[in-house]
Amino acid sequence: MIQVQALTKTFHDSKRGAVHAVDHVSFEVRSGEIFGLLGPNGAGKTTTLRMLATVMSPSDGTAVLNGHDILKEPEAVRGSIGFLSADMGLYHRLSAREVLKFFGELNGMRGAALASRIEEIFALLNMSAFGDTKIDSLSTGMRQRVAIARALVHDPPILILDEPASGLDVPTAHVIEEFILKARDSGKAVLFSTHVMEEAEYLCDRIAVIHEGAIKIVGTMEDLRAATGKQRLREIFLELLGIADAVRRVHAS
Amino acid sequence: MRRSQVLTIYRKEMLDTIRDRRTLISMVAVPLLAIPLLLLVMSKFVSSTEKKAGDEALTIAVRNVGRMPELLIALSQAGFKLASRDDLEAAIAKKEIAAGVEPVKSPGTGTIEVRVYSDLTRRSSDVAEGRIRAALAAFKENSMKRKLIALGQPDSVINPFTVKSVNLAPEKKMAGMFWGGMMGYCVVLLMFTGGMYPAIDMTAGEKERRTLEVVLSSPASRGAIILGKVLAATTAVLVTAVLAMLSLIVSFRFADFGAGKAAGRIPLDATNIVLVFVALVPMAVLAASMMVAIALLAKSFKEAQSYLTPLVMASIFPLLVGMLPGLQLTPALALIPLFNVCQLIKQIFLGEYSHLAFAITMASNIVYAGLACFAAARVFSKESVLFRT
Repeated sequence: MIQVQALTKTFHDSKRGAVHAVDHVSFEVRSGEIFGLLGPNGAGKTTTLRMLATVMSPSDGTAVLNGHDILKEPEAVRGSIGFLSADMGLYHRLSAREVLKFFGELNGMRGAALASRIEEIFALLNMSAFGDTKIDSLSTGMRQRVAIARALVHDPPILILDEPASGLDVPTAHVIEEFILKARDSGKAVLFSTHVMEEAEYLCDRIAVIHEGAIKIVGTMEDLRAATGKQRLREIFLELLGIADAVRRVHAS
Repeated sequence: MRRSQVLTIYRKEMLDTIRDRRTLISMVAVPLLAIPLLLLVMSKFVSSTEKKAGDEALTIAVRNVGRMPELLIALSQAGFKLASRDDLEAAIAKKEIAAGVEPVKSPGTGTIEVRVYSDLTRRSSDVAEGRIRAALAAFKENSMKRKLIALGQPDSVINPFTVKSVNLAPEKKMAGMFWGGMMGYCVVLLMFTGGMYPAIDMTAGEKERRTLEVVLSSPASRGAIILGKVLAATTAVLVTAVLAMLSLIVSFRFADFGAGKAAGRIPLDATNIVLVFVALVPMAVLAASMMVAIALLAKSFKEAQSYLTPLVMASIFPLLVGMLPGLQLTPALALIPLFNVCQLIKQIFLGEYSHLAFAITMASNIVYAGLACFAAARVFSKESVLFRT
């Protein structure tokens, strides 16, 4: 469903010169799979997701999402994805229904079909009670459900989630986790970035560890354990980043 | 770029705009309430100040009246209240009297020179000085007439001619001169202040609230998104313009200015209103596109405000020049944005606009609006601007 091929993004910084935020990143995400992009802050996760969502252009390489190349058919790519981040990106002066109508229309949905889809999502996410309330008046948990509904309104085959549970409390983060698992079960390809180890270990079918713009490893938890000889994802992560070695050297000296 | 996407973006921006309190204040409340309130308070203040100055101007004093006793009668007949003060300078300084009069014998000729003492920095003193001069001129003329009659001169010598001013400008034109200048200046300036908040809200505001990235990840093209935003900002600017025009018309009808009375006869025929509105449309697109393009560069609402305030301030200069009397809208001047539309509005109300000046103003403003719109689209295509942190 998602094929990423040597995707690269280079920024030009006046002090640092050319900065490779994403450096020849390649991976695949299949339908009905949760794929985690795991990395520390500034590793290149968000930039990778932005390029896949075609809101940023790659400096080199490309990706194909649902059969559409991000360079050749960016609008078709955007029509195939649902995008969600921890910021939620909701219009606070609009109601949940108005937000869904707006994004539904941008995705080419109209009239009775859109209205019926909105009702279906309201029922699915138990939103009917606050569907016509302005976002401003909703709790964080309710807002998160609206954000999920927005990403699902056009029933995309791919979900791109940028640290969707970052900074959320446990009950709200749980809503997100349930949403991700249900999306996988309904056959969607879910690509999400995180730096929370427990979240990645619990949710992901496969994980890619990204550091300084480059992919260090891609595989299932078993693959990662086999490659590093470590059991817990936290240890695997530190090993791959070279931090564990550095810590050991400090302790030895 | 799909038209349906542009319309969807436009509708959403308008819905968001009319629910934003800050925008409503600048777009609706300022032109509808602040202008009438300001003008009414100003007119009340001006008329009460004038009345007070007029009342105070009646109290004057005469020194050395023995040199010209008939002066007292002349000034009394002119309606002045005569106070008894010898030190005229001190009494004027203490505001006990508005002005002082003193007949002084000229050393050489022996004729009388009537000196009028006043403080021209004080309105009441200024008014008193003018009235005293008029009263003295009338007194002088009547004295001469009496002497000529006593000498048996015929009426043709006493009144060789009379003077009558004839203003060839019809009332409509007089009102147009006052209105046109005010209308152009106020409306165009308010278009900037009224459109500023919506323009910021839908650009830097979206960045700050992190909603922009979500819209960018929808199938809508960047062209459709920016066009929808510019159209919404243009609507906000035009709504402000229409409300400002309505507000000014109503305010001037009820304001108690001297010129306001002329303004009551403003030529409000449909042709004038349509012409002014047509002239304002490209101006609105230009203002909205400029503000959207500039506000896009900011990463927060506050930063955008600081970027746009100088633009609004800079717009005042060509508008003020447009208010100057005597300036004509020549083909060359019709190329200057803001000034041209301000001048054109004035000339439409004067009934003096030329079709050539109208055409050049419209054509140049359409070109400027197109360039500003293009600039907004260019800015919106830059990743470094959209994802500036």
